[in-house]
Amino acid sequence: MISIDPSLLAQNLVNGVFTGLLYSLVALGLALIFGVMDIINFAHGDFVMVGAYLTYVLATTFLIEPSLTAFITMPIFFLLGIVIYKLIIEKVLGAEPLIQIAVTVGLLMVLRNLALMIFHAEPKGVPFTIFTQPIVLGPITIASSRLAAGIVSLVALGLVHLLLTRTKWGIAVRATADDREVAELMGINVKKVYAVTFGLGTALTALAAALIMTFSRADPYLGLLYGLLSWVIVAMGGLGGVVGVLFSGLIIGIIEALGITIVGAGARELFIYLTFFFVLWFRPRGLFGRR
Amino acid sequence: MSLLTEAQTKTTAIIIVAIVIIAIIAGAAYYLSQKPAQTVTVTQTQTVTQTASPTTTTSPTQTVTPPKIKEIKIGLIEPLTGAHAVFGQEAKQAAELIIDVINNELGGIKNLGGAKLKLVVADAGETPEQAKLAAEKLVAQEHPPIILGAYISRMTAAVAEVTEREKIILVMDGLVDSLTEQGWKYVFRAAPKASAHGKSAVDFVVEMAKKKNLTIKKAAVIHEDSIFGTYVAQGAIKELVKYGIDYMAEAYPYDISDATPIVSKLMDYNPDVVISVPYFHDGVLIAKTIKEMGFHPMFIAGAGACGYTDPDSIKAAGEAVEWYTNTYSYNPARPTEWNKKIVKMFEERYGKLPTEAAGIIFYSLMVVKEALEKAAELHPEDPLNPDNLREAFLSLDLTDNNSIAAQLYPTGHIKFAPNGDNIYAGTAILQVINGEPHVVWPDPEPGIQPVFPRPDWPGAKG
Repeated sequence: MISIDPSLLAQNLVNGVFTGLLYSLVALGLALIFGVMDIINFAHGDFVMVGAYLTYVLATTFLIEPSLTAFITMPIFFLLGIVIYKLIIEKVLGAEPLIQIAVTVGLLMVLRNLALMIFHAEPKGVPFTIFTQPIVLGPITIASSRLAAGIVSLVALGLVHLLLTRTKWGIAVRATADDREVAELMGINVKKVYAVTFGLGTALTALAAALIMTFSRADPYLGLLYGLLSWVIVAMGGLGGVVGVLFSGLIIGIIEALGITIVGAGARELFIYLTFFFVLWFRPRGLFGRR
Repeated sequence: MSLLTEAQTKTTAIIIVAIVIIAIIAGAAYYLSQKPAQTVTVTQTQTVTQTASPTTTTSPTQTVTPPKIKEIKIGLIEPLTGAHAVFGQEAKQAAELIIDVINNELGGIKNLGGAKLKLVVADAGETPEQAKLAAEKLVAQEHPPIILGAYISRMTAAVAEVTEREKIILVMDGLVDSLTEQGWKYVFRAAPKASAHGKSAVDFVVEMAKKKNLTIKKAAVIHEDSIFGTYVAQGAIKELVKYGIDYMAEAYPYDISDATPIVSKLMDYNPDVVISVPYFHDGVLIAKTIKEMGFHPMFIAGAGACGYTDPDSIKAAGEAVEWYTNTYSYNPARPTEWNKKIVKMFEERYGKLPTEAAGIIFYSLMVVKEALEKAAELHPEDPLNPDNLREAFLSLDLTDNNSIAAQLYPTGHIKFAPNGDNIYAGTAILQVINGEPHVVWPDPEPGIQPVFPRPDWPGAKG
C-alpha cells in the first residue's frame, strides 16, 4: 500500500473535510460548556447518543426525513439541557473537579443504561433519507449526506460564532467566561448565562445527532465514540472558541481519512491520538490557546 | 476570541486527565461489550447413559450394562442473565426440547437400556469469571459427564478450564477458532467455527459465479477487528487464495464513526465481490455508505452471522442491505425429515422460529446422544468414562442417512477431528430478498433462489 493513487488521496481529503466539519459540530457544545462554565461534561457524547435515538423514534414514527427532525429535537434538547443544569450541574459549580467528574460520569451511566434498557443493543437506524445519490465530480464521489452534514455544521459553527461575538448575550457569555465574579458585579445574571449556555451546548448535540442519523445508526455505545472525540478536539483547539474547534475538528477528520487510506482502518484511533499528542507536545495550550 | 482566559494550564491538565479516564472507560466498555451479538455459546449438560450406535440404534441388549445406568445428567452452562441472556435463554429452550425428544420419542439412549437424559442448567452470567464459577458449581453438585456451553467464546474458554481439569466432555457452542487450538483433550465443537463462516461466504460466491458463468478476479475483505471478526476474515482469505482470487483486506474498529474512507478505498480497488464481516452496528453504516456512494460490485457477501440479514439490521438499513447475505451456523429451512420436525416442535412450544443459538444446541445435543450410543457400544463396561466418551465422539461419522444430528446440521455431515472440530463444518447462507431474510444456500428455502449477481451491478444483464 505504498503507492497511492492521487485521486484516492483527493477523494479521502474530501471525505475527511466533511467528516471533520461534523466532528467540529459535535465538539462545539462541549467547547462552549467547558469554556464558559469550566465544567467537565463527560456525558456530552451520550447526549449525541440520546439525540440519535430521539431522531430515530421521531423519524420512523412520523416518517420524517431524519435531518429535519432537528427542528423538533433541538428545542427539546435545549430545555433538557436547562433542566439537567438546574437539577445536577448547578449544584456542583465551582466544586472540586473530581466531584464534577463524578456527577457527569453518573449522568453518562444513567443515559447509557437507559438506552440499553429501552432499545437493547440492536442497532436502530432510519431506513429512509433524501440523501441517497452521490455527487460525482470527476474522480471524486461525494456522499450527499456527508456534504449536507458538513455544510450544516459549518453554518451552525458560524452562527454560534456570530452569537458570541456580535450579540449582547455573547458579550455577557464571554465576560462570564473571562471572570465570573467581575461579570456578576457588572450586573450579568451568571446563573442564567450558565443555564442558557448549557441548553445551547446540549441543543447542538441534537443537531449533530440528526445529521449523523442520515447515514449511520443509533446504538447505546455511540456516546463513547463521540464523547472521546469531542474532548480531543476541544483540547487540541486550545479552548480557542469556535475557530479552534473548527480547525481541530477538520484536522482530526482529515488525519483520520488519510490514515485509513495510507495505512489502514485498524489504526484509526492511533492517528487521532498521535496527532493529539504531537499538537499538545509542541503547543501545550493547544492550537489556539492563549497565554 | 478565546472563551476562557485563566488557569489554562490547569484546565489543560484536567482535560488530559479527563481524556485518559474516558479512554479507560471506553476500553473497559469495549472489552465488556466485545461481540455480544454474535457468538452464540450454548451449554448443555447432559447426563448420559450408555447407548450404542448412532444409526437406528439397536435395541438395548441388557448384557451390555454391568453398571445399570438409568439416568445421565447433561450439563448446560449458558448466559441466562445479563447482556447475552437472549442467546442463553433460547439455547436452554432448545436443550429442553431436544432432551424431551430423546427421552420420549426416541426412547432414551437405547444402547444403555433406554437410559434417560436429565438436563442440569447453570447460568454463565456475562463474564468469564461468572462462567467458570458456574461450571465449578455445576460439576461439584451434579457431576455431569458431558456439558454444553457457553456461547460467548471467552466464557466458553473459562468453562473449558474446569471441564478439562475434571475430565468432562465439553461440547462447545462458542465459535472462535482458538477454542480448539489449546490442546484441550475433552472438547468437541460440531458448530462451524469463525473461520468456517468466512470460508462458506467465499464458497458461496464462487459457486454462484460459476453457475452464472461469471469470473471473480478480485475480492475485498473488510472486517471489524475483534478476535472473532479476524478469524472469520482469515477463513475467507484462505479460501480466496485457494481459488486464486486476488484480494485486499481491511480491518477496522467496529465503532468506526464514518465509513466513507473505507468505501472509497474499496471503490479504488474495484473488486468483483466484497466479503464483509461486520460487528453488528457497523453493518448499517457500511451498507448505507456503499449505497450512497454508488458502489456497485458484482456481489456483497456478509460473513460471521452478525448484521445485514437479521431483522433489526434490515429495519435499520432498509433498502441498503437488499441482496446482502450472511452466514449462519444453522439452517432452519433445511428440508430433512428431522429438521422440519424439530423446527415445527420448537415453533409450537415457544411461538417463534429457532435462531442460531437454538440451532447449534439442536445438533450438538443430538451429537451427544449419538456419542452416548456409541460409547455404550464400544465400552459397555464403562460407557461414561471420559476417555471412552472421547473415543466415541471421535469415532462418529454422522450423515443424513444415519443420524438425526446430521439432518439438523447445515452441511449434513459431522465427523470430529482430533482437536474436536467438525471436519465437515459449514454454514447456511441467508440473503435479504425484498426486505426479508431467506435461506438461499446450500439448501434454499422452497421457492427461493439466490439473487446473484446483484441486479444493480453494471455487468448484470437485463
